[in-house]
Amino acid sequence: MIEDKLLIFRFKQGRNGALRQIYDKYKIEMLKLAVVLTGDINTAEDIVHDVFVRFALSAQRIGLTGSLRNYLITSVMNRVRNHLRDSNRRRLAGLEGADLLCSSERSPHQWAVLNERLLLLSGALQEMPYEQREVVSLRMELDLPFRMIAKLQGASVNTVKGRYRYAIAKLRSLLDSEVEL
Amino acid sequence: MSSADEIKKLFKEAELSVNSDADEKVFEDMQKAQQKITQRVPAVPDNIRRILMKNPIVKVAVAAVVIIACLTGVFMFDRTSGVALADVLNRIEQISVYMYQMSMSASGQVVAGRPVDQEMNVTILVSHDYDAKMITEMSSPVDGEDIIQEMYMLPKKKTMIMLMPGHKKYVQMDLSDKMIEQTRQQNNDPRFMVQQILECEYESLGFSTIDGIEVEGFRTSDPNYLGGMMGGQVDVKIWVDVVTQLPVQAEMNMQMGEIQMHAVMHDFEWDVTVDAAEFEPVIPEDYKAFTDEPIKVPEFDEQTAIQGLELFAELTGSYPEELNLMNIISKTSKAMGSKLAQDRMQQENQDISEQEMTKELAEKIMPITGLATFYMQLVQNKNDPAYYGEFVTPEDTDQVLMRWKVSENEYRVIFGDLQAETVDSDVLTELESTLPQ
Repeated sequence: MIEDKLLIFRFKQGRNGALRQIYDKYKIEMLKLAVVLTGDINTAEDIVHDVFVRFALSAQRIGLTGSLRNYLITSVMNRVRNHLRDSNRRRLAGLEGADLLCSSERSPHQWAVLNERLLLLSGALQEMPYEQREVVSLRMELDLPFRMIAKLQGASVNTVKGRYRYAIAKLRSLLDSEVEL
Repeated sequence: MSSADEIKKLFKEAELSVNSDADEKVFEDMQKAQQKITQRVPAVPDNIRRILMKNPIVKVAVAAVVIIACLTGVFMFDRTSGVALADVLNRIEQISVYMYQMSMSASGQVVAGRPVDQEMNVTILVSHDYDAKMITEMSSPVDGEDIIQEMYMLPKKKTMIMLMPGHKKYVQMDLSDKMIEQTRQQNNDPRFMVQQILECEYESLGFSTIDGIEVEGFRTSDPNYLGGMMGGQVDVKIWVDVVTQLPVQAEMNMQMGEIQMHAVMHDFEWDVTVDAAEFEPVIPEDYKAFTDEPIKVPEFDEQTAIQGLELFAELTGSYPEELNLMNIISKTSKAMGSKLAQDRMQQENQDISEQEMTKELAEKIMPITGLATFYMQLVQNKNDPAYYGEFVTPEDTDQVLMRWKVSENEYRVIFGDLQAETVDSDVLTELESTLPQ
C-alpha cells in the first residue's frame, strides 16, 4: 500500500499527523485481533496500547520496506503469545486461580466496546488450541493468505490449512447452539 | 453456505468500537513516547552533522547517487524488438500510476578507494505523466547512520528536487528542454529495464511461480545492457505474470569495475490510486538548499563530453581508459576525495562553505558523468562510437581519442588535444591506422 509507505516515511520524519493517521487506521483492527486471541478485553487493551506506544518509539528503527499492517499484526501476536506463556507459568505456579474469560464488564476507563457477536465469538475461540485460534483469526478477521500465516507461525502451509479446517469445524459445533449462523 | 462462509459472516458481524476518552488517552501516551524519542535522538546528532559537513567523501557519494539517479532516467530508447517482452512494455505503458520497491546492495570499492558495503531500499512511485517520486533509505558509508532521501522528478517543472530530511537540506537540479523531452519518455523504472532487455540478446527462462503467481522469466547477460555503461559482467532477469503481462519481480547482478551490485525490484503495485499532491515536493521552511542556485544538469552532447574529458585529465593526469559510468565515478571520486582532503589540509583554518564545496563537486562531476552518458547514448543509438583513452593522452594532439558517426559517410572526431572535427570515413580509417592495435 503506497499510503502506508508514505505514512511510515512521514512518521519517521516526525511530521505532524502521521502517527495519528496510523493509529486511527489500525487501532480497531488490532484491538479486535487481540480480543479474539486473548478472550479478555483488559488484556487485549493492554497489549494493543503497548504495541502502539512501542511503535511510536520505533521511528529510528522501523524500515520503509515491508508492510506496516503486518508489522503491527506481528507485534500484537508476539505480545499475545508472551502474555499467554506468562499466564500459563503463573497458573502452574498457583499464582492465578482462573482461566482467562471473555468479559463484557466495562470499567469507566474501558477503551474497547464489543458487540454481542464479538463477545460470543471471542468466548468460543478460547475453547480451541491457540494455534488453531490464531489461524482462524488471521484468516477470517484479517484475510491473511495461508502462506503468510504459515510464515507467522513458522509452520508449513499444509499444517496451517489443517489447523484452519479443525478450527472451522470446532467453531461450527461450538456456536451451533449459541447463534443462528 | 459452507461452514467457513458462515464463520466468516460471524467475524464480519462481530464489531468493536472505542471509547473516545480512553482512545485519546492512548494516543496521548503514543505522542509522549514519540516526543521522548525525538528529544533523545535529534534528527542528525551534532557530531555526525559535523562529520557530514566536513567529509568530502560523503559529498562525492551523495553527488554520485544524485547524478546516477538523474542520468539513468533520461535516455530515450524508441526501438523495440522481440514479441512477449515488447507486449510487456506496451502493457506497462497503459498503467497510469504504479509503484514498486527496489532493494539494492553494492560492495567493492567506489568511494575514494574505500571498501563499500552499501544497502539501499527504495520505494518508487511513477505516474503516467512521468512524474516520479523515490524514497530512498540507506546507511551512510561513513558512519552507518540511516539516511533518507525523498526525490521528485518533475518534468513539467523542468526540475528534480531531492530532500534530505536528516540534514534538513535539499538539492534542486534544473533540467534542459532536451533532457525534459527525454525524461518524458523514460524513467528509471520497469519500462526502462524492459526496453534495455529488448535492446540486448535475451533468453526465456521458462515458467515458474512467485508468491503463487505463474510467471515467465527472461534473462540477459549481454554486456551491451545499459549501452555497455556497466563495463563488466551483466546478469539481468525479469519475471512477468503470464496472465496480466506485467512484471512481478526483476533482479540485476552486475560487476562494474570494482563494484559488485545486486538489485531486486519487487512488490509491484499497478494502477494505484494516489493524490496528485504526492508528486509535489513540500520543502519545509527550515530546510536549506545545498547550493545557492539550482544545479544545472548539462546536455549530454559533444561539448559536455569534451569538458568531461578535460576535467578528468585535470584530476587524474590522463583520460579515462574506458567510458563506463561506474568506473569513471569510482576514479573521479578517488581523485576528488584526495584532492579535497589535500585542499582542506592546506587551508586548515579556512572554512570552505558547504555550498561552495557542493557546487565545486557538482560542476566537476556533472560533465564527467555526462561524458560517459553521452557515450552510452551513442552506443544505444548505434552511432558506431569508439573510444581510445587507453592509448591516447593529452599530448597526442593528432590521435583520435573518440569518434562517432554523424551521417552516412561522416564521423565526428575528438582528438587527443580535445579539438573536434568532422571527417569522412576514409580519413577516419587513415587516422585510426596510426593507433596501437
